[in-house]
Amino acid sequence: MAAPMELSCWGGDWGLPSLHPESLTVMAYAKFAGAPLTVNTINNSWRVPKGDLPVLVSEDTVISQPAKILNFLRKQKYNADYELSAKQGADTLAYIALLEEKLLPAMLHTFWIEAENYCSVTKPWFASRIAFPLSLYLPGKMSREALNRILLTKGGPPLYSLIEVEAQIYRDAKECLNLLSKRLGTSQFFFGDTPTTLDAFVFGFLAPIYKVCFPRVQLQEHLKQLPNLCRFCDDILTCYFRLNVSGHSPAGQDTADANLQKLTQLVNKESNLIEKMDDNLRRSPQHPPRKLTTLKLAAGGEESSPMSRLSP
Amino acid sequence: AAEPWPENAALYQQLKEEQILLSDNASSLAVQAFLQMCNLPIRVICRANAEYMSPSGKVPFIHVGNQVVSELGPIVQFVKAKGHSLSDGLDEVQKAEMKAYMELVNNMLLTAELYLQWCDDVTVEEITHPRYGSPYPWPLNRILSYQKQWEVKRKMKAIGWAGKTLEQVLEDVDQCCHALSQRLGTQPYFFNKQPTELDALVFGHLFTILTTQLITDELSEKVKNYSNLTAFCRRIEQQYFEGHEKESSTIAARSAKKSLLR
Repeated sequence: MAAPMELSCWGGDWGLPSLHPESLTVMAYAKFAGAPLTVNTINNSWRVPKGDLPVLVSEDTVISQPAKILNFLRKQKYNADYELSAKQGADTLAYIALLEEKLLPAMLHTFWIEAENYCSVTKPWFASRIAFPLSLYLPGKMSREALNRILLTKGGPPLYSLIEVEAQIYRDAKECLNLLSKRLGTSQFFFGDTPTTLDAFVFGFLAPIYKVCFPRVQLQEHLKQLPNLCRFCDDILTCYFRLNVSGHSPAGQDTADANLQKLTQLVNKESNLIEKMDDNLRRSPQHPPRKLTTLKLAAGGEESSPMSRLSP
Repeated sequence: AAEPWPENAALYQQLKEEQILLSDNASSLAVQAFLQMCNLPIRVICRANAEYMSPSGKVPFIHVGNQVVSELGPIVQFVKAKGHSLSDGLDEVQKAEMKAYMELVNNMLLTAELYLQWCDDVTVEEITHPRYGSPYPWPLNRILSYQKQWEVKRKMKAIGWAGKTLEQVLEDVDQCCHALSQRLGTQPYFFNKQPTELDALVFGHLFTILTTQLITDELSEKVKNYSNLTAFCRRIEQQYFEGHEKESSTIAARSAKKSLLR
């Protein structure tokens, strides 16, 4: 149980710990269940990514698909679904199937098949993380696999051209997003107040759509019109991935988010400095002890209280 | 402009006794159950080339007036446009759940059925190949059969099922049935009092699995483990299929394939 577990997966950008939906799902689940996972992101090294990422290595076992990885974590007693009723467990399975059937094709299309997106964003990003000369081959292969998958599952008659298939899959994806939004409603997570497997999967699928900046963004725009889903992603990112979220991201990102993060960091730094100053002042023998209680309460980084404490 | 449902509406599927396969039979039964639940009369016509007549290449398809619609999803929408719907009484969250469960059945049960009948070598040799090409002379029957098998295997590879073993596929079926059983609980239908298209779909698949003879009984055993699911199938069978003598096709099906619903 205490065996160290290592997860190899694709890295992240634009404020996400990973761009790959399956890797993101596994990372989110590990955070929810409190599983200690060392995450190795694939970077420009000679270690060839073995096709199916994410891969979990624990002692001698190598497990590769997200469903199997999650099963393994559950067996190691890292279970985020502990408090779910049987019916909710069944609902989880059903909604995951919905995501895979309706949302995944459109997501694959946005990432790998839409020509502008693929050439300007996806291919360079993935190629930069794979060693040469594999970087010339692997992104192309992933793109072809994605196209294959979409055509084989969705492309039969009466849809004869890729354009009609595209229209259908985006319609399906938008409907799926609407359904998810209705199901989430106003609660924080899908089953109450604690995140579960379903939250991990939904987050894994939604976050890349939400955060990655593409030239062609019809799915992202639709998602942005569903504020509860956006809030859901942001919540998970700030609560569970706070340490991995970098404040710097490539240009053209959601500036409000970046500014907010920088502001929070600044405020934290300032309140730390103020704490130190206050500490020094308190320790020096001339001055009587100053409002200790308010100091502790305000140490959370509230913007207003340090300011108000400074003014006499 | 909603025209009334014509008297001569027809549902086309492959030949019941010799040709039709597990997955197609399940889909066809689901559509029949749905139409029965909507109280819309339909004749079942068996044709050897039903698959090729269908606009989407999949059976079953219905021929209503001068329109041809195939597969359960589009048929449900078509029937809704005509003014009949089973899911109007559901609220938004329930509708989302219903769609999710229908996807679960399609994703797991249907794919498992396809895997079993096209990727499991024993079943393919002994059941699928002989049945699929039976209306055609040699060598056409073998050619069509191999072509279809190649198509299905490509699809399995694309969605990642090619690497699964039969045990894993049966595991998945078990998980799916477990989820359905949990969701159904002790209620008569999935959304309590009234049947919906989800009930029709689940009935179609489970009834076919329970009553079709394969090489082994493993698949039907998985379903039989859940008594509320078998009770569900029997209830729908009694309510919607036994009262109709003109639906002799279903009754013949039940007697021809040994009924295991004892």
